[in-house]
Amino acid sequence: MRPSQKPTPIDAFPTPTSHTQAETEAVLLKHTLDNGDAKPVLEKNAHLQFLIRNFVQGFPQRYTSQDASQPWLLCWILQSFSVLQVGMDPNNKQRSIDTIMEWQHPDGGFGGGPGQSAHLLPTYAAVCALAIVGRPGPNGGWDQIDRTKMYNFFMSVKQPDGSFLVAEHAEVDVRGIYCLLVTATLLDILTPELVEGTASFIASCQTYEGGFSSSSQPYFGPGPTLLDSPRPALGEAHGGYTYCALASWILLQPFLNASTGPKPTVNTKNLVRWLVQMQGTEIELGGFKGRTNKLVDGCYSWWVGGSFALLESIGVNVNHNHDTNDPAKAKPDAEESWDDVDDDLFNRKALQEYILFAGQHPAGGLRDKPPKNADAYHTMYCLAGLSSAQHRVIQSPARRAELARSWTSSANDNPLREDIFLHSLSWVEEEGTSKIIGGAANRVNATHPLFNLTVTHAEGIMGHFYKQTIPPKSFRAPGPAS
Amino acid sequence: MPSASSSTPKDEPKTLFSERPEWADVQALEQYEISNPLAPIFYSEEYKDATGYFRAIVKKGEMSERVMELTEFIIRHNPAHYTVWQYRYKTLLALQSPLEAEIKLMDELAVKFLKTYQVWHHRRLLLLLQRDSSNSFSAAAKELAFVAQSLKADEKNYHTWSHRQWVLSQFDHEDLCASELDFVDDMLNHDVRNNSAWHHRFFVVFQSGVREGEEDRARVVKRELTYTKQNISLAPNNPSAWNYLRGVLDYSKMPYAQLTSFVNLYAVPTDSDVIDIVDLDNPPPSKDAQLPCVAALEFLADIYEKRGKDDEEYGTTAAVEVYFPSFLHFLESNELILSKQVWKSLAHEHDTIRQKYWEYRIREALVNA
Repeated sequence: MRPSQKPTPIDAFPTPTSHTQAETEAVLLKHTLDNGDAKPVLEKNAHLQFLIRNFVQGFPQRYTSQDASQPWLLCWILQSFSVLQVGMDPNNKQRSIDTIMEWQHPDGGFGGGPGQSAHLLPTYAAVCALAIVGRPGPNGGWDQIDRTKMYNFFMSVKQPDGSFLVAEHAEVDVRGIYCLLVTATLLDILTPELVEGTASFIASCQTYEGGFSSSSQPYFGPGPTLLDSPRPALGEAHGGYTYCALASWILLQPFLNASTGPKPTVNTKNLVRWLVQMQGTEIELGGFKGRTNKLVDGCYSWWVGGSFALLESIGVNVNHNHDTNDPAKAKPDAEESWDDVDDDLFNRKALQEYILFAGQHPAGGLRDKPPKNADAYHTMYCLAGLSSAQHRVIQSPARRAELARSWTSSANDNPLREDIFLHSLSWVEEEGTSKIIGGAANRVNATHPLFNLTVTHAEGIMGHFYKQTIPPKSFRAPGPAS
Repeated sequence: MPSASSSTPKDEPKTLFSERPEWADVQALEQYEISNPLAPIFYSEEYKDATGYFRAIVKKGEMSERVMELTEFIIRHNPAHYTVWQYRYKTLLALQSPLEAEIKLMDELAVKFLKTYQVWHHRRLLLLLQRDSSNSFSAAAKELAFVAQSLKADEKNYHTWSHRQWVLSQFDHEDLCASELDFVDDMLNHDVRNNSAWHHRFFVVFQSGVREGEEDRARVVKRELTYTKQNISLAPNNPSAWNYLRGVLDYSKMPYAQLTSFVNLYAVPTDSDVIDIVDLDNPPPSKDAQLPCVAALEFLADIYEKRGKDDEEYGTTAAVEVYFPSFLHFLESNELILSKQVWKSLAHEHDTIRQKYWEYRIREALVNA
């Protein structure tokens, strides 16, 4: 045990929560002891084998529970390949496109499999998968997406309180809203009509703890008018919902900035406090949990760890100076220089250690925690979390200006189109700030904090749908070991 | 969030739908038109068979009794199949079947598939169908009893708790909420660290309207503060209770500083010579408490920071003298320095994993001072 790995205090007052917590700490502690002072290695090859097995051969029968999430299974695999810096041959790309297009519903949107109803979650997964493997033109996927029908599907599930059902006769929750907003942003179908009231709904999901819940309950007065209060959050603050709510909030900024009326607000101070409280202590190896007094789980590496990259866009911790080309600022990817940096809000080093020590299954793939099995979901979100702990991807005014200079508007433009485009694509990796635990061989690709796609894939699909030529980034500082 | 889990129902008929004479008029549909989709799932023969018939039924638009049987079969194999649920619901409406059988089935399935969004949502749809009927109150009351039972199996189940909150707001009825605080109490007595129960308490007290006997909000707030402080004294290192305490103060726009004497008791190292004093406003930590408690230190720093900002008179000099003698010399400057000291002790000693955050708090306080 390292000196700092103190068990969580239970004040001689054990309860079911402290029991499971202590059990988990014992397991995790063993994983640091087992590894001793060994340099943690990201077993890229083992994870690739795991992914390729799922991709080409398929999933075992226990994945029947994911039969209505087939686009997710493929999306997790493809995005894991991207994060692991693996490209794909044209044949497998085409097979992926052909598979994805079978999920498109004749009335718009994508379903969880062929013949399944349209649903916001698989719609996001299918479109993101197409961002990775698709292309313009016949059979390329992109131009076979029926955007008019998709927009109609989105409008058909819209609710009076600004929220959306995830599908006809289905539930409301902020995951669905996030999925809708990302899809509409990528495909250039995001309109004021579509998102009217949505920001207020998101704001109403913030709980007293600072994180966000799955949804909120509307109350209507005569008219019926939506009442500001009560509008209670349903469910406690939760990592997955918090990421989705925060990313949605940022995707909605162009609309909030343009609106002249009273604007909904979120409490950023409480949000930051809640996010940092989700990081487990040293005995939990610095992994993230998804709720107060619950256990750490590798997937929250992304849902909570990935949320930090979004905070600067809403004015949190913006004291430092970006976009400098000062080579002195660039630090090598070495652990030695770790403490020299930086004004992070969470412990990026510890999060990487959790993923590397506890998150990797010895047989390949990543997981919640030992001794659990690996699965496609945890493989993706552990890798995305690792990426967000290694890299800092932020909105850059210089990049925004560059994109704005080459923007060409078209007739009958939605006035916010340009802002949506610039707001989404001005994210760049801050030079010289990547921090790779275990050495450069553990490096994974940076991922776009709003979309969880690489910036290159986001640029590709958005450039196509917004009919823009993406200018090369002209101010790249000599990146260390990149 | 979705995750893989296996489910193999045991007590099911072995006959495939393709072998049943009553289905002979239907031609099952293959899932994919292309021959080699990527990332396929290896289904069991029964599941593949049943979903083939389901696709055919959807295409035909048939809504009949046998559809109820088919959809139940698929749901038992894969309760997350939202299209099947959706179609089952439409069929139920089309057939105008009595709801009792469906409700009974849902009672069984919700317990079996506690972690699935769809089972809980289907219950909501059934409740909404009864909302305008004469027995809507008893339906909602039964639902609350069912939820209470389910929470015994999984005390922090997200769907179950949010479902309970939904029932209470949807069937907004005085009598339904009457025993809700007792319910929370039971849950917290069983596990004072159950954050879902704390959140539910906040929902009941502050976010679901004002109930009879609770019109005096100042009294309600005082009651909540007392309740929370008592629970903190039992198990001080419980972030759920501290978050609730902050929530109550934030909601009622009360200064944290009014809890200074209470918080001070928890922000000092454990004192084995402590004498039991009965002070209901400031219940002391138990003798086994592991102090200082991180949440108390954080709370204290927030108090100092706010005071520094407000530039108020010190009310805590005595407390500081007793508990932080080493800080005394800072009193001459300002309270911001005190909060800085506490944040530093969190960063370097008591809560080192959050070092970056505590340093951020120091930077922010200096910028905003």
